[in-house]
This record gives sequence, C-alpha cells and structure tokens, in this order.
Amino acid sequence: MTAGTQMVAVTSNAERQRSRMPRWYRRREASILSFSGLAAFVIIWQLAADLKGLDFTFFFASPSGIIEAAGKEVQLPRFWDDVATSAWELLAGSGVALGLGVPIGLAIGWYRRVGFMFDPWLNFFNALPRIALLPLLVLWLGLGTEMKIAAVSLGAFFSIVVPTAQGVKTVDRNLLDVGRSMDASQGRIFTSIVLPATVPYIISGIRIAIGRGLIGVVVAEFYAQTKGIGVIIVKSQQALNSDRMLFGIILFTISGILLSYATSLLERRFQKWRPGQDMEE
Amino acid sequence: MTSAPATQDLALSARGVRMEYLDRGTRERFVAIESLDLDIKQGEFVTIVGPSGCGKSTFVKLVNGLLSASQGEILVRSVAKGKSDAMVFQDSALFPWYKIIDNVSYGLVCAGVSKKQAHERAMPLIKLVGLGGFENKYPYQLSGGMQQRANLARALCVDPAILLMDEPFAALDAQTREVMQAELLRIWRGAEAEGGARKTVLFITHQIEEAVFLSDRVVVMSARPGRIMEDIRIDLPRPRDLHVKRTPEFQEYQEQIWQLIASQLKAAASQFGGSKE
Amino acid sequence: MTVAAPAMTSRGPERSRRRIKIPNERLFYAVLGFVGLLVVWEFASNFDLDPSTPGVQGLVKRILMSAPTLIWKAGVEDFSSGAIWPHITISLQEWFYGFIISCFLGISLGLSLGWFRRFRLATQPLVSALYSTPTIALFPLIVLIAGIGLESKVILVVLASIFAVIINTMVGVQSVSWKHLEIASSFGASQTQIVRSVVLPTTIPFILTGVRLAAGRSLVGVVVAEFQAANQGVGFYIALNGQTLNTARVFIGLVLLGGFGIFVGELVRLVENRFDAWRPSIHR
Ligand SMILES: Nc1ncnc2c1ncn2[C@@H]1O[C@H](COP(=O)(O)OP(=O)(O)OP(=O)(O)O)[C@@H](O)[C@H]1O
Ligand SMILES: [Mg+2]
Repeated sequence: MTAGTQMVAVTSNAERQRSRMPRWYRRREASILSFSGLAAFVIIWQLAADLKGLDFTFFFASPSGIIEAAGKEVQLPRFWDDVATSAWELLAGSGVALGLGVPIGLAIGWYRRVGFMFDPWLNFFNALPRIALLPLLVLWLGLGTEMKIAAVSLGAFFSIVVPTAQGVKTVDRNLLDVGRSMDASQGRIFTSIVLPATVPYIISGIRIAIGRGLIGVVVAEFYAQTKGIGVIIVKSQQALNSDRMLFGIILFTISGILLSYATSLLERRFQKWRPGQDMEE
Repeated sequence: MTSAPATQDLALSARGVRMEYLDRGTRERFVAIESLDLDIKQGEFVTIVGPSGCGKSTFVKLVNGLLSASQGEILVRSVAKGKSDAMVFQDSALFPWYKIIDNVSYGLVCAGVSKKQAHERAMPLIKLVGLGGFENKYPYQLSGGMQQRANLARALCVDPAILLMDEPFAALDAQTREVMQAELLRIWRGAEAEGGARKTVLFITHQIEEAVFLSDRVVVMSARPGRIMEDIRIDLPRPRDLHVKRTPEFQEYQEQIWQLIASQLKAAASQFGGSKE
Repeated sequence: MTVAAPAMTSRGPERSRRRIKIPNERLFYAVLGFVGLLVVWEFASNFDLDPSTPGVQGLVKRILMSAPTLIWKAGVEDFSSGAIWPHITISLQEWFYGFIISCFLGISLGLSLGWFRRFRLATQPLVSALYSTPTIALFPLIVLIAGIGLESKVILVVLASIFAVIINTMVGVQSVSWKHLEIASSFGASQTQIVRSVVLPTTIPFILTGVRLAAGRSLVGVVVAEFQAANQGVGFYIALNGQTLNTARVFIGLVLLGGFGIFVGELVRLVENRFDAWRPSIHR
C-alpha cells in the first residue's frame, strides 16, 4: 500500500523574507523611520502652504509661519502671563482633584456600603461629559480663575476616584488575611497593605486625569475668554491668524507630552507593573 | 535523491540538516543544529531526548515546515489523503475563543472543508480522545489534561501520516501525565484500528521514562549545536501498559539513556567554567 | 504577682451578628445614596433662613442650585411643549455621524498601524503627539476651515474620539500571540484565515474597549462644539440657560447627557459580553 508514494522535500510555508537593507539601517530602523516620517510631514505641509499662495495661509498655517509667530509671541510679557495662568489652573485643579479624589476613592473602595451608595452618582458622572458642567461653574464661581480651577479638577476628579476605588477593591485577599492573622490594626493594614497596592492604580488614574485636566483648561478658557493659552487660540481665530492659533495648540500638545512623560517616570518609580488600560470610564 | 537501501518504507528522512538562527539586531548566526541525520520508518514511534536548547523543537518545526533549514534536506512521504504531518503543540495551544469542536476541526477548515462537514469528521476524534460531551465547551472550561487531549485530537483530525509532538505533556502533573501516556498508546493503536495506516510519531520529551515507555526508538541528541549521539532501539513488547515501567529491562534502558545525557550535561557544565563538584 | 488569664474570645467573623440581613445590599444602598442626595438637595434649597426673601438667603441659593422638584417641573414643561426636541435631535445627529466615522476610520487605521510595523514607526511621532493633544483645542481652527455648520461639529467629534479607537485597536493587534500565529500556519491557514481565526478574535475585545471610550468622548466633542458655535443642541441649551440663570434647565441638559452616556455605554457592554463568551468570567 505504500509502494506508490514517494518522498518529497519539506518546504516552509511560513518563509519570512528579511529585508536586504544595510546593517546600519536595520539597527536604527525605528528612529530613522520615526524621524523621516515626521520630517516628511513637516516638509510636505510647508511646500503645500507655499504653493497655495498667501491668501490661503489664513486657513492653513505653515511650519515656518508657526515658528515666526512663536518667535514674536515669546517676546511678549502677556504671553508668559497666559502660560503662567494656564499652568496654574492645571496645577491647582489637578491638586484639588488629587487631594479630594484619592481619599474619597479609598473610602469608596474600603467601605463596601459607602461604595454602593456612591455607585449611581459615580456612574452618572462618569457617563456625563464633565465639561458640560461648565455653565454651572460659571454661575457659581464667575469667570475668574476659581471657575477654571474647578473645571480642571472636575474633569480630573472622577478619573482619580474610580481607579483608586478599583485598586482598593482588588487588593489581594490573601495579603489582607496575612495582616489580620498578625493582628494588625485596621489602620495598620490600610497603610501597610492597601495603600501600597493601590498606588499603581492611582498613578494610572493620574495618567488619564492629565488628559481630562488639559481638556478642562482648554474649554474653560475658551468659555471665559479672560486669560490663558486657550484665549490665545480664540483671539487668533478672531484675527484669522492661524499660525499663532496653531502655536497655541502646539503648546497644549507639548504640555500633554511632557506630563504624560512625567507620569511614566512616576510609574517606573512606584511600580513595574501597570493595571490594564481598561480602567478609563 | 540518494537512494538509501530501504527508502521504500521510510516516512521521514533527514540528511545533513543544519539550522542557523539569524539574530535580527546583530546579524550574527547562531547554530542551533549542526548536522542531523535521521530516518524514521512508517508506523514507527520515535522519541528525541536531549539537553535543553539542543534544537529538538527546532527540528520538529523544520519537519512541520514552520522553519526552513539552512542546509541539508528533510524528506517526508507524500500522502494521497490527509496531511503528511501535523503538530501537537505544548500546553495552552488551543485557541481560547473557539469551542473544542471548532478547535479540533481547525485544520480541516483551513484545508477548505465546510464547517459542517469538518464538525462531523471531528466528532469521532473527540470521542476517541475521551472528550465526548465536551465539544461545545471553551478551553478554559477544561482541565490541563483535557486540553491536551483536544490538542491531540486537533492534530489527528487532519489525518496526518506523521504526528509531531513537542513535549505535549510537559505542563501536566505526574499522575495525569502517566494517564496521558497510556492514553496516547491506546489512541495510537485505536487510530490504526479505525482503518487508517499506523501513524508515525515523532515525539519530544525531557522525561527519559516517558521516552522509553512510548517508543520503538529513542534518539539522544548532544548539547547545542545538536547532533545525534545515539539511536537506541527499545525492544519491549507491545501493547504496553504502565506495569512495564517496573520491569528490569525498562530500567536498564532508562539507565543507559540517563548516562548518555549526564555526560552531555557534564560537558556543558565544564564548558561554562563549572568549577563545582 | 498573678496575671489574669486572658479570656477566650470567639474569632468568627464579627459581621454576622451585627446587622440584620438585607437581601440585596447593593441595590438597597444604591437607592439610599441616590434618593438620599436628592432629598438633601431638595431640603437645602427649600430651607429659608429669612422667610421674607424666599430662595435668596437659604442654605443654598435656589436660583443657583435649583432643586429636584423645580427640575422636574421644568422638564415636564419643555418636553410637553416640545421645545427641547430640536436640541436633542441635532445633538444626536452630530454625535452619531462623528461616532460612526470615528469607529470605521479608527478601526481601519488601528488595524493597519498594528499590523504594518514600518507604517506604525513612520507615523508614531505624529500619532502620539495628536494623542496627547486635547484635540478639542483644534475647534477654532476647524471653524475657520469648515464653518459653523454640522460639518465642523462632526469633525470635532471625530477628533475628540478617534484616537481612543486607533490606539486600542493597535494595541489589540500587537497583542496577537506569536504562538497562535504559528499554530495557524502549522495547519496551513491562509492569510485571510489567519486574520479571521487569530487576529480578529484577539483584537475585538480591544476594539470594543476603544469604541466604548469613543462613545463617551464623542459626547464631549458634541458639548464643546455646541458651547463654542451653535444655536441648537443640548450643549447650546445648557449654555444658554446657564447664562440666563435658568438653572433647572441646565440640570435637564445634564440629565439628558448623563442618561445618554449610560445608555450607550451599556449598549457597547452588551456587545462586549457577547464577544466575551470564551473568557472565564471574573466579575460575575
Ligand atoms: N527563533 C529563534 N531565534 C533565535 N534563536 C533561537 C530561536 N529559537 C530557538 N533558538 C535557539 O536555538 C537553540 C535550540 O532551540 P530549541 O527550542 O530547538 O531547543 P530545545 O531542544 O527544544 O530546548 P528545550 O528542551 O528547552 O525545549 C536554543 O539555544 C535557542 O536559544
Ligand atoms: Mg523545545
């Protein structure tokens, strides 16, 4: 029964073709591609703006235009005033969110019944774009800095509370039993077991909160139109100066990147692991 | 093709196989298998043992076509129906998102068989490996031993002439493992009784006892870069049951193989400047 | 010097004898927390320190805080007169278009970014910069380009939500297991079969997470756009009533937004559960 069949050579069905690129390229492929991708984007943008002619640059700023606008802007004392205002709003707002969010999150996570009581409200506010509360904040606090700080902290607050409570709830039961078996007091168990286990969750909350806080700054400043980087953007729009407007937007981008980098440092400092990113909302 | 004396009844023939891995970053070549010759007859149960990292997994992947050799040639007998070979992977190799029946019939579906027909053909195999009634469960609902049964059924389902098994029982506890060994022999004979030709098996393990118990031949590989050191015929009567492990002949085989591997381990230890002992 | 022998104490769980059992604790306390706050709110805004000037000298100023009953009354008014419907439909429209575009565009971009390594590397700086930008800051620019009609709002909604989809989808593709790919190719799966049997099953849970996040962010986009440039929509309704000290109606808008957010979130979660049959359930 075997006579008719014959032997055939095995051929790989998953042959992976490796690139024939030179060695120096392969070693730095990631950075080379990233850099050239960005460079290509900027160059094409600049060329497109140049080709379209002057009248069109009202709408499509160009890289060189943005740099020019930035050069003018940084010489103005008003600009630094705006930057300081925005920075202060973000800082103070995040501080308030952290100062309130962490204790409340801990309480909600630790006391089961408190958690149950807060549940409907947390769900509601989590599903609600918090930024929609802005008109109320204006009613209560006026158009000044307090209102904007409140807007930032409201944006960031829930992103801190929810992961913090989550972190407390998921503390390893075995660890708690170890603590209890050693007759540690509630307070001791809390500070020695619950708090350290929750820190990574708090930090991943901070990561999300930063984004929310920034949105708070932007929208509050758009809304109040008194001071801050957001006002630079709105005023530039009214003056049809899209270069300056994009400069303002890029300032927000840079702060977003810097802050998220700072959070990564925090993360590395406190924990090697990070809970899944499904925590948001 | 060099016409060796008995190519007639060979299922697999490897000649001068050399395998080099290429490091992606440094482009350095890393020799995993030096030069390997191996012939396996049809219906034979052959086990490869050898120190960790000697290239056993690499070899079965070469046979399976997941990798291609840098040098040399691997020949397998072409088959009229079914596949020439199929692989039983190590633990947790089922697709967690498929029910057992879909996992088992996966190879058939890949070969273009309709889902309905594939399910029909998978059922007898699910029963053969003792999983009747579990076909609509997801892998997480099965124990480790049951998952490996499904894994085996998936390979058997494409009706391979050669069954490639890379440490299939490594993740199981000692008792389940013994049960699975006896089961494997039962299934091996059972598949034959179903009317097909006896399957050729290429099995890989670290457990010498397992190798002796299962095999017609045990092939001992040297430490990396892998070569074949010894090819030992196991002349224990079949069908075997677990009692055979208590016989003196069995223990002699075990001792012989252990000596071979121990010499390799010592060589490796001194290679790393082992001043211990 | 005699030491009193310590008393033997029971070490069983103390909880059991402290309290009568409440059948569904979770629901009980949830209702308690919900109703409790409403009652306190109502009471606080009806309690006048100086009865001659109702609503001005209370625990809270009624004109600034409103009260649950006032909100209810205003709600009944606006719904029965139909005044609120145009706002709802226009917001829904903006949300829907933006969300759908975000999902389709985001999933396809995320899949290609995850699958093609070079494409991902080349676009990485741009994508992560945009991801860190509060994209709603682009609204003034969008208005310059696309005007203040439906288009500019849909664009903002897309910008606000698409990155959640892109990034999650991309991470999903990247978490495809090498081992599963190897198994598929061992059984001779074609490219399409690999995508169908390995890549998609791994990625779908990630995609759905992205979609769920995007649903919420799209709502943010709608509100911000309507705050900035609109004469209709729930966001506009909130802003207008805030400016005219019509606090009850501000709360109506908030209830609508929150209710819609919960509804959509649960909807996506239903889909998620449907795709999660193969996972051991931890939470239930
Ligand atoms: N994809 C790869 N790229 C580079 N080197 C590899 C790769 N796979 C395996 N190797 C190397 O090749 C050698 C042989 O690996 P292989 O997996 O075949 O060993 P093994 O005999 O199966 O070992 P074990 O018994 O531990 O499973 C090892 O030294 C390993 O480091
Ligand atoms: Mg191996």
